[in-house]
Amino acid sequence: MFLINCPYCGERDQSEFTAGGEAHIVRPKQPTELSDDQWAEFLFMRKNIKGIQFERWSHAHGCRKWFNMVRDTSNDKIHAVYKMGEKPPIK
Amino acid sequence: MLNYNSPIKDQKEYSEIKISEVEPTLKLNLRGKKRDFITKIGKELSIIPPSDPNTSSGNEKFNILWLSPDEWLLYSNDKIDLKNTTLLEEKLFNEVSKSKIGSIANVTDHWIMLNVNGKNTFDLLSTGCPFNFNNFKNSKNAVTQTLINHIDVILHNKDLNNLNLFVRRSFSNHLWSWLNDSSRFF
Repeated sequence: MFLINCPYCGERDQSEFTAGGEAHIVRPKQPTELSDDQWAEFLFMRKNIKGIQFERWSHAHGCRKWFNMVRDTSNDKIHAVYKMGEKPPIK
Repeated sequence: MLNYNSPIKDQKEYSEIKISEVEPTLKLNLRGKKRDFITKIGKELSIIPPSDPNTSSGNEKFNILWLSPDEWLLYSNDKIDLKNTTLLEEKLFNEVSKSKIGSIANVTDHWIMLNVNGKNTFDLLSTGCPFNFNNFKNSKNAVTQTLINHIDVILHNKDLNNLNLFVRRSFSNHLWSWLNDSSRFF
């Protein structure tokens, strides 16, 4: 259990949120021109690293807004939270 | 609306806790991002939807609760008069939804309003809620959406130890039972 600072509502318990997987995956501009392997790469393949990861989260039991988070998966330390469409504050 | 069925029709009193259903009350879901939307709502109801998170605004007839940056819940303080509420809903629908500056949806039957008051109100809620009530309980007209016993609720802090709780109709009986069971510990 840990606290997440929703960019809209403020600090809330993690149980109010749902994780939405890796962030900043860009949809291919011409999906029809991709091979099955390339499409599968975009659709299914996700990083699962131990360390700093960029993720999408939703405040499902609060404002129901999606936002991005930079989280260290090894210790659940949250380095940054930022709104959808904004650039990551750290690289 | 004409055949409104109240799911609980009950009120209970425990040690420093009173729980009652306050129905039927008008509830409208307001959604919009444009400035025109805020202006129209303000003009029709004489209440500006709050832009600050977790707050509400209101007058003697209605309250508007902040739910998200582009969503609010309007509810009436008093039990509804069918004629007037239909007129208000139609008026807002014509002004907002039809002119495509936002959307108005009648959620009167969707949400059930319970009133919980008494000195042990927040102790009761804390037994099944991950939300930190420390600041909330001292902020009049504060609003929050959270979970109580894993059930989604909207809380509106009306006054000291007096709050209105909104729960979805299908969960209302379950939450009502949980509130009653948990109140017996105080």
